[in-house]
Amino acid sequence: METAISVVVDATLITLVLALAAFGLAIIYGLVGVINMGHGAFLTLGAYLTWAATTSGIPFVLAIIIAAIGVGIVGLILEHLIIRHFYDKPFDTLLLTWAFFLVMTEIIKIVFGTDFRNVANPLPGAIDLGAVKIPIYRGMIGLVALALISGTAFVFYRTTLGIKIRAMIQNREVASLLGLDIARMYKLVFAIGACTAGLAGGLISPMLSVDPYIGNVFLVRSFFVVIVGGVGQLLGGTLVGSFFIGGSETLFALFSKQVFAQTVVFLLAIVILRFRPAGILRQR
Amino acid sequence: MTADVEKRIPPVGRITLRGLGESETGLAFIAFIVMALLPIFVSGYSIYILPQYMLFGMMAMSLGLLWGFVGILSFGQAGFFALGAYTMGLAMQSDLGINPAYIGMLLSLVAGGVLAAVTGYFLFSAGVRATYFVLVTLALSIMVEQIAVSQSDITGGWNGMFIDRISLTFGGLGEISLNEDAPAYYAVLPVVVVTYALLRWLTSARFGKILAGIRENEDRMTALGFSISVYKTCAFALSGAIACFAGALYGTHANFVAPSLGGVLFSTEVVVWVAIGGRNSLLGALLGGILVATLSNYLSTITPEYWQLVLGLIFIVVIVFFTGGIAGAVAQLPRLWQSRS
Repeated sequence: METAISVVVDATLITLVLALAAFGLAIIYGLVGVINMGHGAFLTLGAYLTWAATTSGIPFVLAIIIAAIGVGIVGLILEHLIIRHFYDKPFDTLLLTWAFFLVMTEIIKIVFGTDFRNVANPLPGAIDLGAVKIPIYRGMIGLVALALISGTAFVFYRTTLGIKIRAMIQNREVASLLGLDIARMYKLVFAIGACTAGLAGGLISPMLSVDPYIGNVFLVRSFFVVIVGGVGQLLGGTLVGSFFIGGSETLFALFSKQVFAQTVVFLLAIVILRFRPAGILRQR
Repeated sequence: MTADVEKRIPPVGRITLRGLGESETGLAFIAFIVMALLPIFVSGYSIYILPQYMLFGMMAMSLGLLWGFVGILSFGQAGFFALGAYTMGLAMQSDLGINPAYIGMLLSLVAGGVLAAVTGYFLFSAGVRATYFVLVTLALSIMVEQIAVSQSDITGGWNGMFIDRISLTFGGLGEISLNEDAPAYYAVLPVVVVTYALLRWLTSARFGKILAGIRENEDRMTALGFSISVYKTCAFALSGAIACFAGALYGTHANFVAPSLGGVLFSTEVVVWVAIGGRNSLLGALLGGILVATLSNYLSTITPEYWQLVLGLIFIVVIVFFTGGIAGAVAQLPRLWQSRS
């Protein structure tokens, strides 16, 4: 019984962390259709900015906001300089965002060095629930992830901006004819996606040691989260996808090594991708 | 029959030559002669290390075949390369009475070909789009790395695996050990040359024209009665077998294989080589692999971070401005010359 509860708690926490990490990608891929291979670099940069801010004495909450804004600005520059010219060529954006990852990783190495960095846990300690102990910070991250995703869903379905974005996804030409500035909307969505990834990187940083490739741990898993959940399904898709990827990894890890569990989950995700390319939520 | 087929195929004969054009064969001759004569003029470390870069170049050709001639991009070639190295390592440890070198080479061809064929057919038969294929191959190379790490009883895990140099036996006729640098060099070079020639022949034959047709217009080729998924699977299986075979030779030449050889970073480095060398030309891919890997090795000792940064920027410039890479730019030169005079 105790193991069952702890597995459920573990799976939930991992699901939410994964959802947080994948959300920026879900926004950029789902809404503007860019296969953002630079997502890992956004996460890493967010983590490093948080580290830099906290070590110079800035409180953690402020530090992650700085990280989010910083990564958002980098995303904006990337979009303005390169990506906006290639929206109609998904293959080229894939290569270009990977090139961005290569360049950004080297810049991070040059600026911050290659050593492992640690961000102090702002909320140490754990909540004792009898059967299981939940680290306060991880619980907090879970809540933040839920708040972030439902907040975005609110913007998406209940505000004028949301209507504009949905119009843009549904029919770019008509939306543009009706006076919507498509170029600006794309720029905005891309920057918001980058911002979210930066925030996620900052939030995740206290749970791992930060190194220049920290974001890559999440890159392929984030993609599988988005594809398995269904591209463009921000709310349900991200959560279902994360639950599938993160939750099943927890389950398999019970029977085998963690590394091997990841392999099995990747294999499962590939099978799903083949049979349900539009995600498990959507009918074909 | 052949004439009939030629008629059925859309006019793609010209397009298959969009890399270096007619001058490719001549340039390839010069390049291979230079490579063959090189050990006369230089010796020592260069001759030791060059075969490894030639094998990198061979892996680059396996990607060039896919990317330039079929229009599908794989981010997982290094996964096959590492699989080959591990296969060779395991074969060398076995004791089967036959020269383990041959078993390792044969097994690596089979392993790479079968893995690619199974993955390829599984995905292509469902018409998985090209961008998803990139992600799956990326996952594939991560999986190879993860399996190499997790099955440490067989693979040595993080510590890697040591592999002896192979020696070539010719029945009762004698034996050539590849322990010395020069024999190893002259054993690897012909393999690369033969692979290049084979791929050139295949891409200019009927098979290559069908692939080019698929690249240019899948719907039309389907309408003409070609089974797209079968041809794509064949191309990917060939590509996987070549990368795996190159990896087997690399493993024995480097005497060592570690999980990171199959990792994401190395896999995508291959993409950078091919993009810079020229994705539409096999020679461009081969030389791109050899030259960029040589430069990387040389400059990484001086200024690793800045070199990688510059390489990334060159990669961006190539994708944005010179889709054909260096080979494409070289092919453009005569035309520029003509328009000026």
